[in-house]
Amino acid sequence: MSARPKTPRQRAIRVRGISVWMIALLVALVATIQIRSQAEVERSLIGADATSLAFLIDDLHRANDSLAVEKSDLGKQRAQLESGQAGAADQVLADEANRLRAIEGLAPVHGPGVVIVIDASGLTALDLQDALNNLAAGGAEAVDVNDRRVIMGVPVYQTSGGVTIDSAIVMPPWTISVIGDANRLGVVADLMTQQLRADRRVRAATYRVEADLVIRSVLTEKPFVYAVAS
Amino acid sequence: MSSRNLASIALLAVVALATGFVLAGQVKAQLLTPSNQVARYQALVRSVQELEAANADSRRQIASLRGQIDSLESQAAAQSAATQTLKNQVADLRAHAGLVAMHGPGVEVSLRNGVPGPDSGNQTGYLVNFEDVQDVVNLLFAQGAEGMAVNGRRITPLSAFSGSAGEVVIDQGPPLTSPIKVVAVGDRNRMQAALDDPSALPGVRARQVQFQVHLTFEGSPDVSLPAYDSSLQIPHVSPT
Repeated sequence: MSARPKTPRQRAIRVRGISVWMIALLVALVATIQIRSQAEVERSLIGADATSLAFLIDDLHRANDSLAVEKSDLGKQRAQLESGQAGAADQVLADEANRLRAIEGLAPVHGPGVVIVIDASGLTALDLQDALNNLAAGGAEAVDVNDRRVIMGVPVYQTSGGVTIDSAIVMPPWTISVIGDANRLGVVADLMTQQLRADRRVRAATYRVEADLVIRSVLTEKPFVYAVAS
Repeated sequence: MSSRNLASIALLAVVALATGFVLAGQVKAQLLTPSNQVARYQALVRSVQELEAANADSRRQIASLRGQIDSLESQAAAQSAATQTLKNQVADLRAHAGLVAMHGPGVEVSLRNGVPGPDSGNQTGYLVNFEDVQDVVNLLFAQGAEGMAVNGRRITPLSAFSGSAGEVVIDQGPPLTSPIKVVAVGDRNRMQAALDDPSALPGVRARQVQFQVHLTFEGSPDVSLPAYDSSLQIPHVSPT
């Protein structure tokens, strides 16, 4: 039995149907590409935007430069020890002891830096900890607050009588003396004092850059009670 | 085919063509731009990965150099009592500076991201940030911690915390993200009591309620701290 020939009207309907399907297919294809492309962008952007990445790259460059300097210095120390010259080891050890005493706040030091003065009422230990951390992140190498030497690990604590540093109350105004890269510290101090002046608890917040700042306060080394070298 | 049918097909073809042009325009205007953005983003990510790899490599070299120097110093100290005295002083100073691996009783504090609130929008309060880590470290030092490490990164007298939302940068390290583990050696009862105090760590505790940020801690009879493996330079400081 042969198929009945299609009428011109049936053929027209079929062509129209195919055209509609073609358009629908095209729209679906483009929509899929569009959605997939956006999903790809979103997936790759999880966690950080381009600006954050740019800042991260800047930080890593600075960190790696700092590590390169450390490697170079350690290489020189090793070379000096390997030289076998009389007194070479003593010299390396004496230099290292002096450097570590300065790092640990056990010796008076001097150098370029900034002095920040904050006159306020109601600032807490958290405010001082934030300020000290900002300065440390800005390259502080030695810090003193109201003639008290501060390093990471010195307890800054809140008591009913006020903020204490190593159990001693530090009354406002706080004078924070910081030795380090004066340019970097100046930028940090500028930002900090601007923010502090916007705080209603703060009466005055100023800073000055010093070419040679002296920090005379020192810490006393506390022997380990619990920690044992591995 | 009637002229009416032909006109319908022609109309459909024109509509399809117009749709095609519009979509092609859309592809050029919108799809290519994100593709370029992706390429730029990927280039930035590659740079970060390369710099992080260089950073890790430098840390390994620094740790190795410090080990070699220590051996050479020990050799020299074995030949002279005066050198041995100096070596002992330096060993003690290095231990206090975080340059020596340590162990002892202590606590392990874990911080983990919470969940974004339904109406939090772009807020990042559910993420563990550098201030949270800074507050935990300061609290533990205030309770007599003798040494500390954050995700295996030893804290030193010059350590600083920074970072953006959800990222914690310590000293010259690549950023750390949740989960963050702070390990401290010291009086574990005293440190645990401080961590238990509901008035301590107000920032984290508020976000525990709001975003389910996780803060847990556990005392241990023996925890280990690695030696610091980064730069400890003070180029602007001189002894008086």
